[in-house]
Amino acid sequence: MWHNHCMKAIQVKQVGGPEAMELVDLPVPQPQANEAVIKLAASGVNFIDCYYREGRYKAPLPFVPGQEGSGTVTAVGADVKSVKPGDRVAWSATLGTYAEYAAVAADRLVPVPAGVSDQEAAAAMLQGMTAHYLAHDSYPLKKGETALIHAAAGGVGLLLVQMAHNIGARVIATVSTEEKAKLARDAGADDVILYSQTDFETETKKLMGGKGVDVVYDSVGKTTFEKGLNLLRPRGMMVLFGGSSGAVPPFDPIVLTQKGSLFLTRPSLGNYIATREELVARSGAVFGMMAAGKLKLRIEHKYPLAAAQQAHRDLEGRKTTGKLLLIP
Amino acid sequence: MKAIRVEKTGGPEVMQLAEVPLAQPKTGEAVVKVAIAGVNSADSFFRDGRFRTKLPFIPGQEGAGVVTAVGPGPATVKVGDRVAWSGVLGSYAEYVVAAEEHLVPVPPAITDEQAAAAMVHGLTAHYLVNDAHKLKAGETALVHAAAGGVGLLLVQMARAVGARVIGTASNEEKAQLAREAGADEVIVFTKHDFEEGVKRLTDGKGVEVVYDGVGRATFEKNLNVMKLRGMLVLYGMSSGPVLPVDPARLSEKGSLYMARTTLAHFTATREELLARTSALFGMIAEGKLNVRVAKTYPLAEAPQAHRDLEARKLVGKLLLVP
Repeated sequence: MWHNHCMKAIQVKQVGGPEAMELVDLPVPQPQANEAVIKLAASGVNFIDCYYREGRYKAPLPFVPGQEGSGTVTAVGADVKSVKPGDRVAWSATLGTYAEYAAVAADRLVPVPAGVSDQEAAAAMLQGMTAHYLAHDSYPLKKGETALIHAAAGGVGLLLVQMAHNIGARVIATVSTEEKAKLARDAGADDVILYSQTDFETETKKLMGGKGVDVVYDSVGKTTFEKGLNLLRPRGMMVLFGGSSGAVPPFDPIVLTQKGSLFLTRPSLGNYIATREELVARSGAVFGMMAAGKLKLRIEHKYPLAAAQQAHRDLEGRKTTGKLLLIP
Repeated sequence: MKAIRVEKTGGPEVMQLAEVPLAQPKTGEAVVKVAIAGVNSADSFFRDGRFRTKLPFIPGQEGAGVVTAVGPGPATVKVGDRVAWSGVLGSYAEYVVAAEEHLVPVPPAITDEQAAAAMVHGLTAHYLVNDAHKLKAGETALVHAAAGGVGLLLVQMARAVGARVIGTASNEEKAQLAREAGADEVIVFTKHDFEEGVKRLTDGKGVEVVYDGVGRATFEKNLNVMKLRGMLVLYGMSSGPVLPVDPARLSEKGSLYMARTTLAHFTATREELLARTSALFGMIAEGKLNVRVAKTYPLAEAPQAHRDLEARKLVGKLLLVP
């Protein structure tokens, strides 16, 4: 084939800290029958990449990290009909995006429309589709309802606030700093609570005039779960989609009855893009919002591939409020 | 008047027939002559102290009858109205004083027996199928204890919306009753593992919703028989309360949902209570919902009614006639 040359890639030979990631030369991958090879334009940097790097999630060693990318198809396997060389595509959930080229199963690739740049597409795949299933499927938020969104200036948070606002829901957001509060407000939050300064339960009750919210979107987990239940209206929905403060410990389900016949779900993205049809529809919907200017992504920093270590340090330092990208 | 009285909590024998004075209705209250009172597992929980109330008390929370007096001031019911209720403690008696907001009108096509028998179980089945999980044609529901009080009504309602129903029952006789109510498949769980059965009957795909009034004994396996993003509705605990749940399990098993519900939250406003009751009575009047009465006891035999309820041998509603 025509890719007999080498490419630059980040490789993890032994799991560990950011320094476990080395810039190396690897052969450009060749497509299997069901795969396409893509020249990457951008790779997203996500917490899950850190988990693989440090060994909390397992991948056979050595491996190329990264699970989110966009670029242009350069070669396809014999059975691939859905894409052809030259197509602009994006994908998530396939390891190996911290590289100049990646081989990906063609049925995980989604088309990127003209109104969306490669970098925006890479930035939107995980967080954009997550925000989308949260607002539209885990709990189909409706105009006039109220959502409490924790970590509203986080990667998913800022997108979720915009989507909830666009639906016509009232958004109460929690954030840790004044700077983040401003970002949440700019994204469309109606009320923002600085949980480091005021108790979010007391404050939300005040804002709601004693009524409950329809849904709580909670990626914080351990420190927010119980109080979140106290803030739901009868028959309200707790969507627990992460645990940045630690995992919620086992709880007695009767609590859900006592607090008003509440509903709980603990979703993950994989189950909301399980079929090709749903993956294409969901990514298409997210790209559509972006192209129409209704969903703004904050790309905070772009790093060259060689600076992957720094990107992980910045992400793990939790000082970032927008998306980090690697540009090969 | 005659009433059943509990002076201290305990077994069925603590329920004694007594002569007690009838209270006067206050504003917003009505006195109802009880035609029939329903017997529910919650009554046992109050009787044995698992649910708490002030002693002494008259048990029973469900019934049907006729208004005989109303309190001073404006009233929504009048003397002679046929009414039914749930959530009014004191129904094991000849008369009960009820807050008007709990009383719903009983249409002429519905007998007192049907009304009393349908309030708790019928309204529960109704919110489960219509609100806790909005069941749709083409979906598959797993209904545990499908020949139980709620179960038999739930099966009929699920069938009426066009869903496929897989029921579980403890013996062949109950399985037959669940089939007659419309269950497409019934698993006799004492002979066959229900997890295996549901997987086989759904080609490994699982069900959209599990309705579970059983609790502890079925919880773990329920998580293995649901489709991606499926819903587990826990509405009771006949086998004991579910042990603490790690929310991560819901994620691992496919972004599942769970709810732990109770009727009061689905009849919380007067509007919703009336709408739900009227839908329920409508189904009964049209012959779409058959309310099965297992046995009717005279008031004095309340202890025997509780014994029979707790033995779980009878199928259908138990009623007391004052």
